[in-house]
Amino acid sequence: MKILVGIKRVVDYNVRIRILPDGSGVDTDGVKMSINPFDEIALEEALRIKEAGNAEEVVVVSIGSDACQQQLRTGLAMGADRAIQVQVDGPVQPLTAARALLKVVEKEQPGLVILGKQAIDDDNNQTGQMLSALWGRPQATFASKVELAGETATVTREVDSGLEVIEVDLPAVITTDLRLNEPRFVKLPDIMKAKRKPLDTLTMDELGVSAENDIQVGHHAPPPQRQRGIMVEDAQQLVDALKERGLL
Amino acid sequence: MNKPALLAGLRRVVGEDFVRTDEDSLAHFGRDTCDLFEPAPSAVVFPDSTQQVRDLVLLANDQALALVPSGGRTGLSGGATATRGEIVVSMERMNAVIGSNPGDRTIECQAGVITAQVHAQAESMGLFYPVDFAASGSSHIGGNVATNAGGVRVIRYGMTRNWVAGLQVVTGAGEILELGKGLVKDNTGYDLRHLMTGSEGTLGIITGATMRLASAPGDAAVMVLGAEQMELLLPVLERFGSAVTVNAFEFFSEQALQQVIEKHRLQRPFETPAPVYALIEFEQANDGDVDAAMNAFEQCVADSLLVDGVISQSSSQAHALWRLREDISATLAHRQPYKNDLSVRVSAVPQFLAGVEAFIEQNYSGFEVLCYGHIGDGNVHLNILRPHGMGLEAFKKTCASISEGLFEMVQRFGGSVSAEHGVGLLKKDSLHYSRSAHELELMRSIKRAFDPAGVLNPGKIFD
Repeated sequence: MKILVGIKRVVDYNVRIRILPDGSGVDTDGVKMSINPFDEIALEEALRIKEAGNAEEVVVVSIGSDACQQQLRTGLAMGADRAIQVQVDGPVQPLTAARALLKVVEKEQPGLVILGKQAIDDDNNQTGQMLSALWGRPQATFASKVELAGETATVTREVDSGLEVIEVDLPAVITTDLRLNEPRFVKLPDIMKAKRKPLDTLTMDELGVSAENDIQVGHHAPPPQRQRGIMVEDAQQLVDALKERGLL
Repeated sequence: MNKPALLAGLRRVVGEDFVRTDEDSLAHFGRDTCDLFEPAPSAVVFPDSTQQVRDLVLLANDQALALVPSGGRTGLSGGATATRGEIVVSMERMNAVIGSNPGDRTIECQAGVITAQVHAQAESMGLFYPVDFAASGSSHIGGNVATNAGGVRVIRYGMTRNWVAGLQVVTGAGEILELGKGLVKDNTGYDLRHLMTGSEGTLGIITGATMRLASAPGDAAVMVLGAEQMELLLPVLERFGSAVTVNAFEFFSEQALQQVIEKHRLQRPFETPAPVYALIEFEQANDGDVDAAMNAFEQCVADSLLVDGVISQSSSQAHALWRLREDISATLAHRQPYKNDLSVRVSAVPQFLAGVEAFIEQNYSGFEVLCYGHIGDGNVHLNILRPHGMGLEAFKKTCASISEGLFEMVQRFGGSVSAEHGVGLLKKDSLHYSRSAHELELMRSIKRAFDPAGVLNPGKIFD
């Protein structure tokens, strides 16, 4: 079986986000970029499935500018066998991503697609579900445990009320939640080896997908600054302060 | 003075609510992170101004009291411990950031500001306060200055001393001194600021500090590298040092790593077995830096200096790798290890460690000795763990005799018996291994000049 894993280049989890002064987007100039943490978990899961003997090949795919080759190389260093870059400059919305991924899926014929449940930059949480619908195959989202047996996958999902266990027929789309696994560190010798692994670049034209996004983004603004807390002397003052704000 | 009169005197200075004598407070504020001494202060006071600190010192001079200045109490040598009925002067309430000056690149704080808050304030100015260590979330900036705290980035930025632009101090005689005044250049005689730095509260109580800030460094990448032998790590440092800007170069042994991994269920950096590890943090201003570091790694592997290594791919991974080193001390704490904090010249570290290993092997083969530290600046922490079944007293006694052998070796290497933890109560009997009799006499006369009645932290550093 072949596993296809999507990875997105995003602003590092620990970076404090700055909005560009003209509100046209987030300032990424000189900002540390990393693999979307949920996608890193997706890749780790694919590698574990392969190491357990349930898959032969792990292919990582990223949709983005040439800069995302850096994240693909990291994926190769973690242990993926091949990488595909779908070349796009500018932001890619979930439906566009899902359409492009569908074309890659049709080309590669994977038995399983694993994606992060959402990217931490736009927090959309849509691409996996959209791909599943376009592809006409089952989806198992928010996975915290994945077990493969023959033609089915048993997936434990993190849902609002607790955990839900479902069985899906393969091929299927699985999206990962935080507790699924802890991604490995990248070994230095593997970074050297990754330089020799294949990384192919496709264009949206070659895939026959329009890079036009369906949704126009009007404006970006930072959240309003939180007001400073006040110190109260005693319980009475606390009650008064809460009443004054209509909270009691 | 009888106790009620004493407490009345203290209350007059700091106010009714800010003198505590309950058992919990005495036990809590009577000790630092070195738990080898029983706390026994008579009271804890919480002044909120330099004036109040001065009045406390004057009261102490008048009534022959002993004061123990107290910050975040994260010290490891008992320097902030009160064992003989002293009054603990906690700086907790003096915790205001007074101001920051981007032009001077300084930040002015009261002594009780938490170190992590200095980091945050500097960051909000787009600058950087570079002294950092595991306890920075609770240590005070005043305590950092009083102990000349070191930590993990000394190799690049030096100790706290390098960052002290000015100090406000109340001397043991009750004089308020403004030292340094934030000047970059000031060659007007003896620099008393540097005498105060590292004086462990024996010359004056630091009430305010103006700290210098550095430019924010670029992103950092972290590698953990495995080697067959400790002595191979120095040539490794040399190669990385000429390839990239090294922020930190730490080492730890496999045994130390095992303890941390088991306790916190962390992920091993890699499976290839290695008896020692180095953690290197370097500045990653552009892709070229990572390539240069990779080349250095390849060279080291080709020359059989390293067996394997990993590199962080995100800041959370950098943090996860740092935990392998930073959590060692806290992980071992429950076993009450006997801590040694030794330093020798950087180039002498491998030879020194080989000597230490042979010495322990020969004399105390039954002991588990865990090594870790800041190999990049010559500082080695040796932790001796108590064998199961050995009583605490017997253990302390054995360790004292082990230490004597170690200290003699330190002396032969021209090293220090306390690299960054200070002297406090723990190391004062060993001070003579690092300092000559004449030096000690000069130190005593300096103490007399600042604190003629001996009211400040008596019995610390020397008797």
